[in-house]
Amino acid sequence: MASLHDQMAATGKVKRSKDLPQGVERLKEEHKKVVKDCRSQIEHWKKVENDYESLQDRLRTLPDKLSYDIMVPFGPLAFMPGKLVHTNELTVLLGDNWFAKCSAKQANALVEHRKKHVKNTLDDLQKVMKNFQNRADFTDDLEKLTGDTGDFADIREVINEEVVTKGKHRLAHKPNSKPKQEYLLELEEDKEKKESDEERATGLLSEEELWVRLDELDRQEELQDERYRLDSTDTTSSSEEEKEADGGSDVQVNGHQKENGWVPSSITGQMNGTNGSHPEDEEEEDCDEEAGNGLPTIYFSHTAEFKKVRINTGKNTTLKFSERNEQKAQTKRKKQSGKSNGHSPHESYKIKSPADIYRVFVDLVNGEPKPRKSILKSRSRENSVCSDTSESSTADFEERRAAFGRSWSHDDATHSDTSDGITEEESPTGTSPRTNGRFEAFTGTVIEKDPLPCSIPHLTIAPPALPTIPERKLEEVGPEAPQEPPKRMSKFKATRLHQK
Amino acid sequence: MAEAIHKKLQSELEKYQQLQKDVSKSMSSRQKLEAQLTENNIVKEELALLDYQNTVYKIIGPVLVKQDLDEAKATVSKRLEYINGEIQRYETLLKEMERKSEQHREVLSSLQQEYQRAQGQAVGKV
Repeated sequence: MASLHDQMAATGKVKRSKDLPQGVERLKEEHKKVVKDCRSQIEHWKKVENDYESLQDRLRTLPDKLSYDIMVPFGPLAFMPGKLVHTNELTVLLGDNWFAKCSAKQANALVEHRKKHVKNTLDDLQKVMKNFQNRADFTDDLEKLTGDTGDFADIREVINEEVVTKGKHRLAHKPNSKPKQEYLLELEEDKEKKESDEERATGLLSEEELWVRLDELDRQEELQDERYRLDSTDTTSSSEEEKEADGGSDVQVNGHQKENGWVPSSITGQMNGTNGSHPEDEEEEDCDEEAGNGLPTIYFSHTAEFKKVRINTGKNTTLKFSERNEQKAQTKRKKQSGKSNGHSPHESYKIKSPADIYRVFVDLVNGEPKPRKSILKSRSRENSVCSDTSESSTADFEERRAAFGRSWSHDDATHSDTSDGITEEESPTGTSPRTNGRFEAFTGTVIEKDPLPCSIPHLTIAPPALPTIPERKLEEVGPEAPQEPPKRMSKFKATRLHQK
Repeated sequence: MAEAIHKKLQSELEKYQQLQKDVSKSMSSRQKLEAQLTENNIVKEELALLDYQNTVYKIIGPVLVKQDLDEAKATVSKRLEYINGEIQRYETLLKEMERKSEQHREVLSSLQQEYQRAQGQAVGKV
């Protein structure tokens, strides 16, 4: 410190700010000095320890004989033959000019005690050394980071402010949203952090939380009526899906990272979706590499996908309430413009993700594409269809669908109205269980329940939900009372009946 | 004008340097005390390991003087307390000196600024 000020005085200037490289250099030097010091001290203390060890050995063997013949040092230059007597009597220096007469064994005990101290000192030194080593490494990394020399890339996601705030402030409407408050809070914090910082690959949610959240979302998913999705596969939604799917595959900055990045964002989207509009809806996808601030910066954003988060609106509709209006509007628009589904199948053939496969397998009912039915047995699944649920694994999915389906009442009229605009759920590049689920789901659930003699070839496994599709059509003609699963007729029978 | 400031600067700088030396002196004596502290602690523990049969000696000059074990223990404890007290004293002293050196640093920096301004003016005039 004194030298610095001398320097200051000598030059007559005050060096207020050092250049970054100089500062970093100096920091590194200091770190290295400390580390070197630590190393030398550690060496010293290790030597001490070794000395004590050999001393202990000597003490053990010393009392073996009554006297030893030795060469006694005589002054600095000569030795003299002599005898070492009273081999068990030792005068030990205790420190600070204190001595004690002890036997060899007692001396041994004292030495042990001292060795303990030495070990403690050694441990402390090791810790300090490690600490400073880490610091030095960190400054190295920091230098690389800012100097644009390393493999670091700044990944930024630009988030639309107002959309974000919309999502933050709303509370959940769902009756069982309370238990998830903790996730809400955590995720909101995380979301804020994400907005301000670079996008971190793994997100700030732990994996376990993610899985739990996924499970919840799966439960929510199955409540959603697939007919909505079917009706909603109009041009806009499907194009959106395609865009999203395309976008999903485009952002391949770091495949794994992105995957994980999707999940938290989509989950947060879901979270906020239950409460309000998805903050990332209707954002364009953008994937650039720019050199910003000396670091390669990669910008990307999540494409819009209407999250099909389910809320109980009492009519077996499971929509985000914020999206219902849009969906209604879309339905109206669509109905006004007439059924122009000419290009929806066309678009649906652009398969970029597993979800798209589901979209391909649609039946044309009344000129509108409708997803195929699930073949899985579930009483309550009268009106469930096989969905592009990217989040669910089959087993759980089916169970939950069964569990939830029963609690819903069907009102298909409103269904069809409100189903427009419900687009696909999570991106196909969701987490691995999702993808696994997708594979599994696909193996088990592709069925077609086509009451019309369509040209599309289909498997002949009767779907449990068969009765409801024709019913639904009837309802579109004229509304019916809600049909609950109480009609427990055998599915095969039902198939036969309907096909007749 | 600049010269006067320059002289003031020099004197302040010397005072500051003196202070710094004092600080470092106190630091080193404090470190010595710390070492003594640890040593006496070890002695105390080792005395506890001995029993009355071992004779304890103390070196006074060239002579090893026999001491009683309990006496020795008491003496060592007293010494420990003394050392602790010294350390406390030095602590307070060091803090004082730090504060003074801070003040001096500020004075120095302000004087330097003045000096620079004066230099600038002088250059401007010329």
